[in-house]
Amino acid sequence: MDFIVNILALGIPFSVALLLASIGEMFNQRSGIFNLGCEGIMAMGAFIGMLIPYSVGQGGATAEIYNFLGIIAGALVGALLGLVFGVVVITFKAKQGIAGIGMQLFCVGAAGTLFRHFVGGTQSIPGIGKFYIPLLSKIPILGQIFFSHNILVYIAFLFVPLSVYILFKTPWGLRVRAVGTYPRAADSLGINVNRVRFQALAVGGALAGLAGAYLSLCQAKMFSDEMIAGRGFIAVALVYFGHWDPIKIMWGALLFSLAQSFQLAVQGQGINFPYEFAVMLPYVLVILTLAFSRDKKKQEPAALGIAFDREKRT
Amino acid sequence: MKKIVALSLMLVVLSASLFAQGGSEESAAKEDDGVVKVALIVENTIDDKGWCQAMHDGILAAQERMPGEIEYSYSEKMKPVDAGSAARQYVADGYDIIIGHGAQYKNLILEMADEYPDVTFAFGTSAEVGPENVVTYMPESEETGYLSGIIAATISKVDVLGVVGPVDGGDAARYNRGFVLGAKSVKPDVEVMVAHTGSFSDYIKAGEVAQSQIKAGVDVLTGSSQQALGALRATADYPDEDIWWVGQDLAQLKMAEGQLKCVAASSYDYAPVIVSLVENVKNGVKGGYCVPMNFANGGFIFGFNEALSDLYGSDLEDAINAQISEFVNNPNSVDWKSVDYSQL
Repeated sequence: MDFIVNILALGIPFSVALLLASIGEMFNQRSGIFNLGCEGIMAMGAFIGMLIPYSVGQGGATAEIYNFLGIIAGALVGALLGLVFGVVVITFKAKQGIAGIGMQLFCVGAAGTLFRHFVGGTQSIPGIGKFYIPLLSKIPILGQIFFSHNILVYIAFLFVPLSVYILFKTPWGLRVRAVGTYPRAADSLGINVNRVRFQALAVGGALAGLAGAYLSLCQAKMFSDEMIAGRGFIAVALVYFGHWDPIKIMWGALLFSLAQSFQLAVQGQGINFPYEFAVMLPYVLVILTLAFSRDKKKQEPAALGIAFDREKRT
Repeated sequence: MKKIVALSLMLVVLSASLFAQGGSEESAAKEDDGVVKVALIVENTIDDKGWCQAMHDGILAAQERMPGEIEYSYSEKMKPVDAGSAARQYVADGYDIIIGHGAQYKNLILEMADEYPDVTFAFGTSAEVGPENVVTYMPESEETGYLSGIIAATISKVDVLGVVGPVDGGDAARYNRGFVLGAKSVKPDVEVMVAHTGSFSDYIKAGEVAQSQIKAGVDVLTGSSQQALGALRATADYPDEDIWWVGQDLAQLKMAEGQLKCVAASSYDYAPVIVSLVENVKNGVKGGYCVPMNFANGGFIFGFNEALSDLYGSDLEDAINAQISEFVNNPNSVDWKSVDYSQL
């Protein structure tokens, strides 16, 4: 029983960075833009998130304030980078795929360079500790699985219903979906397509930056320029996995992370099985699910990847 | 027009001869002043508190031991595909020894060695003996792992230990298996959980492995390569619990979480390797040999964390010192290949 409880209790915090980044990417894609630079924005968010508590608030009573300032700064930098990406693909109408790869390379490189300049070598920080929810964390089994994590875990999972509400119950969510599905029709109704897309990119970037800051402040409690290690690309894949639906994306992030937690636990049991296959397990699981779970009712946003030009008839 | 062409040709010839002369003068000066130029190429950074830093520190120590005899440069963040251009630049700049620090540079080094027979190339970890201008080095890290295993098993209260491995190969495989043997030498029934991240640099995954093992009941962990810092950091999340770390780099002892959780650590000391490499090059021996690194030839150093001296007694210190003496007298005596993780 402990074996299963441990897998579940660890799988949930492991999923948070993926969940935040993939929900952010969902907003991007819902507006018609895919941002392969997600990985890079996460790297910058991780660096900025770590830099603030490292440089101004090492330890002491005020440490927590600086940690949360780091979280906010990570999200703000992410939003800013989302807007920069918007200038490239919306204003200058660059190809989104290539621009995203460029964004990823630039941000990872910039984060590493800035890190070396401002911090130096690998450094750890106190980071954000666990927050045990009173009473609930004392419930046997469930308390350990659901209510004994750091505060960002709870916030990340609150983003799921919040994004469902924003996307499907608010006028802005409707506009985001409209510009990602049929931008010309949205434009004819007076919606400023490019402005909505910029807004969605800012939201997506902020969540990717937040995901990065989570990794450096809550999970690793340190920074290195290779620490994102492909998680940004997995987040993009999870958007397809979840058919652009926040709840399904959450299940995808949990599936990946629980598989990760499971393979780590199994490796430790000394089962005679090549560890390389165990390490591959989460990735294989996501690919298989992507391949076999095609929901014909849930098509990708029709205008995904297509730049909008109101002077052109498309 | 003809005058301009003639003048241009003359300038080209003049400048070419000037540069050629400068190059030969430089070569002559190098032979005269006895300075050996050493270049290091690493995939991470020279301050990664792990694999790359150990080599960098070793070269700096060798410079101190041979004052004025070693000129040193390094290139960081070099993927094997990028390292070729850096290595060629070093050759063009007259470097005598070029070290590709990692087995991933093997193909590049062998190719370059063939192309530039007058330059000495080195790479590791590898026990292979290469061409006559290639030097390999192989840390016999089962010795350091064995010491870590003795410490871990001795201080463990629950007799369940954890190993956070990067990959099951090279010196990491030797270290991890040595750890198992060391632990079993103290407590034959001790349980050792071994898990690999599949990466040398994924700190987050190493932290996840450590958390998974701690949740499963492990109370003393170890790990090698730079990714191990993530696991060490994870142990610091249990400041008031008896969760401990045994390190594979002395730099970890100086970190805040190392001071808190790292009981002891061992390091590779590359200084003897570099000193012998430089001396051999000076004596005209460019390569064709492998340098094993062990306690007997000064390839390893070991230290306890004095801040945690209450945790280990003088008995454990004596046992470790005795084991190091044993390694010095009988190197290569740990049968690390005998360890089968599925039998643990």
